[in-house]
Amino acid sequence: MIPVARRMLFANRRRALLGVLGVAVALVMALALDAIFAGATRQVSRYIDSSPADVIVSEEGVRTIHMSMSVLALSVVETVADLPGVAWAEPILFTSDSVESTSGSRRLSYVFGYQPQGRGGPMKLMAGAAPRRGELVLDESAATALQVTLGDEVSTLGQSWRVSGLTTGMTSIVNTTTYVQYDDLAEVLGRQGTASYVLVGSEGDPDRVAEEIARVTGLTAQTRAQFSAEERAIVQEMSTDLMLIMSVAAFVVALAVIGLTLYASVLSRLRDIGVMKALGSSGARITRLVLVQAAWTTFIALVLAVALSYLIGAIIAALAPDIDLVVAAQSVVRIGVTAVVISLVGAIAPLFRVWRVDPASVFRRAS
Amino acid sequence: MSDIALAAEHVEKTFGEGETQVRAVRGVDLEVPSGEVVLIMGPSGSGKTTLLSMLGAMLRPTSGRVMAAGSDITALPESKLPRFRAGTFGFVFQDFNLLGALSARENVEFALNLAGVTGKPARRRAEELLDGFGLTDRLDFKPHKLSGGEKQRIALARALANRPPVILADEPTANLDSKIGHEIARLLRTTATEEKRAVVIVSHDNRLKEVADRILWLEDGAFRALEGMATDPVCGMSVDRLDTPHYQVDGITHYFCSTGCRDEFAANPAHGRPTAGAVPGES
Repeated sequence: MIPVARRMLFANRRRALLGVLGVAVALVMALALDAIFAGATRQVSRYIDSSPADVIVSEEGVRTIHMSMSVLALSVVETVADLPGVAWAEPILFTSDSVESTSGSRRLSYVFGYQPQGRGGPMKLMAGAAPRRGELVLDESAATALQVTLGDEVSTLGQSWRVSGLTTGMTSIVNTTTYVQYDDLAEVLGRQGTASYVLVGSEGDPDRVAEEIARVTGLTAQTRAQFSAEERAIVQEMSTDLMLIMSVAAFVVALAVIGLTLYASVLSRLRDIGVMKALGSSGARITRLVLVQAAWTTFIALVLAVALSYLIGAIIAALAPDIDLVVAAQSVVRIGVTAVVISLVGAIAPLFRVWRVDPASVFRRAS
Repeated sequence: MSDIALAAEHVEKTFGEGETQVRAVRGVDLEVPSGEVVLIMGPSGSGKTTLLSMLGAMLRPTSGRVMAAGSDITALPESKLPRFRAGTFGFVFQDFNLLGALSARENVEFALNLAGVTGKPARRRAEELLDGFGLTDRLDFKPHKLSGGEKQRIALARALANRPPVILADEPTANLDSKIGHEIARLLRTTATEEKRAVVIVSHDNRLKEVADRILWLEDGAFRALEGMATDPVCGMSVDRLDTPHYQVDGITHYFCSTGCRDEFAANPAHGRPTAGAVPGES
């Protein structure tokens, strides 16, 4: 069978390329949006995801760090540590503020207070040492942005701190993470004798340990995976409307582009379609012709869009490490399904046009 | 009659309603047996194209019947007409109407695909036809790289691809020079004689009279007797002697399609073509 649809589509390579590029750009918009969102979501739960804790204990009903306030009595740490299946328990304090350099550069930051040599601090030190009293550890990306280095002074929570160490991977486009000693943060916040959360290491099944802690203390205890999922969910909930608007915008752009591309292709081939009908092409065959053209345009655009998304992700990662882009397989599948819907909807107007072509029009002289 | 490949019985076609109603074809009767070439001539707007569209199952008559290959086209449901056209008719057009995105071979193969012939058999048949028309070295050429004569031979190969009993040709020589026009006319004649196809040609081209078994004059949607026809000595068009501009020179009356042709002739009668139908002494 002669692949008439493909031949017709690519007979005018420039038009076909423009159409494919137009759809690809719209799909890249959608993919990039997903990738930025996935990256931002991953960044939000990075402290928990990189923590050695198997279970995190918080005030009853509090399930996240983000957009939450948890206050626990420090005595909870000992209670939890004595429970069966618990290997260790350590308190952390949490607040948020901005970190400002002496030059006036400023960055929003989560501030964690942890015990010296404890497990609530930075997962990896790239340079320098853990903070002593009056010192803090900054993320290296934030340090670069603030134009500070080891030994420099920065201010946060209303006082000056010396940068003792640099960690990595804890800065996003929104904020960074800073680590100070537990006692320093308790003093600044006036929260001596309290903890925000208790990090717990388990010797057995973390789910059972979490259940036991909750049963005995009446507090909320979640495994790391549960806590991380809650963190991501709250960000997703907060961003749903924005994401919906952006997704609809990308969808409409892709739809318009593919519709116009197909319509232009069909308009330029109306005589050919008339000839095909005159020679004996059925309505179904003509419908298939348009749908195959839509499918080809969308398929190539999708492949191009995925490749471009990975390429853009790699370039951004190299140029702006703070921006975490995650092109997830499920996102590609979702955009792929959307693209199929777009190609079908985009083919409607061209289909109505070709269905109306009169086969007898072939007897009219070509202009 | 069993060898009648195409027949029209009292075919009428009316467009519009009320004051804007136009009767494009009025009670046409026609029978074309296999092997015959029928040339339908007539002035522009006489209904030739409308009649051809109805004969080719592209337009339904307002009344009357069209029979092709033993089937009543007018009784066939719309959904069956495309397949019927693919197997029953071969079309040749003035503008060739080859699919620009396909090569010469693919254009012929496409017609075969429509009749259900695909793959190697379609390819072989297409090559065989194009070889027969001297296009062996043009198989993979796109239409825009071919001459008018080559395009029309491909169109003819496409028309013959499915061995249809009826070939319908609309001004098949109009865009061709004299030599190629004669060649296409000869091919149509050969097709009718050797392959026993009924060939219906709609044209203004007098050269085609040479290959036609019958010439019909269509005017105002109805066939008229040819005895009353003459040839315009300026443009070569066939014209009715009644109610047309005429001019007498050296005792011979000449007939014209328009006053423009008459005035041109009157300015220089020596430039006129040899004419048919000019009448000595008539005024």
